[in-house]
Amino acid sequence: MSIKRLTAFTLSAVFVAAACSSGGSSSAPSAAASSASGADCTVGMSWNNFQQPRWAAHDKPNMQKTVEDAGGTFIDADANLSNEQQLTDVDTLISKGADVLILLAQDTQAILPAVQKAKDAGIPVVAYDRLIEDSSVLYVSFDNVAVGRAEAEAILAKVPTGNYVLIKGDPGDPNASTFLPKGWDDAGLAAKVASGDIVLLNGPDGTFTDAWATEKAQSNMEAIIDKAVADGTTIDAILAENDSTALGVVGALTAKSYGYPPLSGQDGDPANLTNVAQGKQYVDVWKNANELGKAAGAAALALCGGADMASLALPAGLIDAAVAPDVLTVTDFVTPGNNTMNSFILKPTPLTAENLQLAVDGNQISKEDLCKGVDPASAPAACQ
Amino acid sequence: MTNVADAAPGQAGAPKRTSVRGLLAATEIDLRLFGMLVALGAILLTFNILSGGKFFQPTNMITLAVQASGIAIISTGMVLVIVSRNIDLSVGSLVGVIAMTYALVMTDWMPNVLGIAPDFPFRWVIALGFGVLLGAMIGALQGFIIAYVGVPSFIVTLGGLLSIRGVVWYQSNGAAVVGLDPNFQLIGGGAQGSLGGTITWLLALVGCVAIIWLIINGRRQRRRFDFPVRPMWAEVLIGGVGCLAVLGVAAFANAALWPEGLANRIAFEQGWGPTPEGGWNIPTGIPLPIVLLLGVTLVMTWMATRRRFGRYVFAYGGNPDAAELAGINTRWTILKTYVVMGILCALAAAIAAARLNGATLDIGVSYELYVIAAAVVGGTSFAGGIGSIPGAVLGAFVMQSLAYGLSFMGVNSPGQNVVAGIVLIVAVGFDTFNRRRGS
Repeated sequence: MSIKRLTAFTLSAVFVAAACSSGGSSSAPSAAASSASGADCTVGMSWNNFQQPRWAAHDKPNMQKTVEDAGGTFIDADANLSNEQQLTDVDTLISKGADVLILLAQDTQAILPAVQKAKDAGIPVVAYDRLIEDSSVLYVSFDNVAVGRAEAEAILAKVPTGNYVLIKGDPGDPNASTFLPKGWDDAGLAAKVASGDIVLLNGPDGTFTDAWATEKAQSNMEAIIDKAVADGTTIDAILAENDSTALGVVGALTAKSYGYPPLSGQDGDPANLTNVAQGKQYVDVWKNANELGKAAGAAALALCGGADMASLALPAGLIDAAVAPDVLTVTDFVTPGNNTMNSFILKPTPLTAENLQLAVDGNQISKEDLCKGVDPASAPAACQ
Repeated sequence: MTNVADAAPGQAGAPKRTSVRGLLAATEIDLRLFGMLVALGAILLTFNILSGGKFFQPTNMITLAVQASGIAIISTGMVLVIVSRNIDLSVGSLVGVIAMTYALVMTDWMPNVLGIAPDFPFRWVIALGFGVLLGAMIGALQGFIIAYVGVPSFIVTLGGLLSIRGVVWYQSNGAAVVGLDPNFQLIGGGAQGSLGGTITWLLALVGCVAIIWLIINGRRQRRRFDFPVRPMWAEVLIGGVGCLAVLGVAAFANAALWPEGLANRIAFEQGWGPTPEGGWNIPTGIPLPIVLLLGVTLVMTWMATRRRFGRYVFAYGGNPDAAELAGINTRWTILKTYVVMGILCALAAAIAAARLNGATLDIGVSYELYVIAAAVVGGTSFAGGIGSIPGAVLGAFVMQSLAYGLSFMGVNSPGQNVVAGIVLIVAVGFDTFNRRRGS
């Protein structure tokens, strides 16, 4: 155990030196000896659907750079939304010599035969962004409950008491009905509703939005505004679960000339970031995919070197301090299927007008797009 | 439809005929349409009672009407398509691709490719032109494949539903595009995108005069060709009620006022001076999407009932072989119904995009279902040959009044869907039952 721990630590040290070239923090004596494992390591990545622009823009380049900077080789394949194709892809990656696999599974269950195949071949597996129900897999993702918590924390800090509107996503999506609302309640929403500091205008469950559709969210919000006006109440704040619904809410507020009470969202969609810059949306909780890519790349290299999964730690300084503690260590994650997994869980970043620069720095949006239509007089720092 | 007939107003001064049915027949009122109006009224009244009188307010009814306008506009075209024994499943995707095109034309192509300055006042016309042209072209392509190649319309438009939605993704890589031209945004309604008090009254007066002129002209024409005319009391009743209804709607719409914040802001920007006692109280009047819907309904009804194209559509739907043998160019007629559909989708897409001030990947999703529902609730028969354009518009309002009302009452979307589905089946079932009894 302790030897494995040491290996993990020294490996980490190598990656810090390689990836960041700042290098100062650690002085492990055996660093040079174990650096060979990085050079030998081939990391195989299977995407479920590479068409989504996010993967090519953020996840893949950072993952690839982390691996290649440490001297490893990066190969990948795209399953194009097909479970079957993904199983074939995993076979191909293994036969091409992958020493470790990173899987973005099309389906949390259908991927299991591929995981078994990897296990049989003695290849460690990393579940990337999306859960795989198998306790031998390392899960690297963002804390989805924390997304809801970050949304509510930002809005509650801005509007501690008053009338709230809750806009939720598709009623069939557990994120919409369970995880995000749990985060809201963890941040204090439930307590404040119980104490009467906050009044929920559209019922204790809020309003669901079929398929997270922007138009539907807009129609619902218009009815809620009409109701509030008819009742003679004001809307002080709006908790929207994600950006597509928040965009619909802004549409409704604009159509009704209601003004813009503090509004939440998540995803860091460019259109919504522009709304944040214009003061139409207060907070946009952003999952920085660049950092997720780096974390998975570093974790894969460590596993490649034979590190014990349960005691893995990511090198200091590799991940942006906004999304993870200085040295990110493996934590237990209990899945909905009651498996306990090893995991690296990153924190999402709440973006407001004050820290929009982070989105520009992270290549999420160009400064030009962000600041389109922003009134120079009230422009946030990122647009000046 | 006895329950509907019982609710009929004003049989005062009834001369010879005594039965309610007979009196209604004398006015030549379309009983189906009349029944739907009563049903719509009943829905609104129920919600008003349930909400303690807060529902039936001018602002709320304007929201409802604007939300229904896009579906209603497309449903006028769907009537022609279904009447001619076809279907169009691609309307939602068509709305999506055209809305995204509007957004791209205004945010990207005009400034970066065409070099049109942001302050050019007719940017909205150019954008709209692009969209209408695109809609007509896609419609013509689908219509050509259906009418001339002979692939069933269900298949062609199902393919359109899938592939056109895919194109929307490629247009913007899946991202939302926002920030449209301020003038274009007026198409979506809102306080500034409405006619305002004076023009609303003028429009109502014009409508009133038109109703009276139509009645007088109709009577004169019937006399000339020795057709039976309606009894004088019926003419006066219809003219009076119609005129009063139009003026009533105008008064109601003008009772909706600009939101205080907006009025104060514009007053400040325009330098109107100090706020008068009790606020500015600017009437909004009828919103532009409703004006558009009104225009579309009139033109489409006129085309369907007074023009050769419309008569051909109904003739083909009633009996395709007979229409063909009678020398109607049926293929060309079918193709044209899809071109009309494309243009209507472009208008609905303009409203949707303007309302949102942008376009998203999912704009227009499942429109095809709402549009078809509106058409069949409005009395369009899948057997072909039967359908009414004002009926489809009313059908769209019935469906939307349920969705909006339930939303207003805080009923969540699963509940809304349950009600919408049941109403669809009940409405069509009731209609089928009546037709069978009638025949």
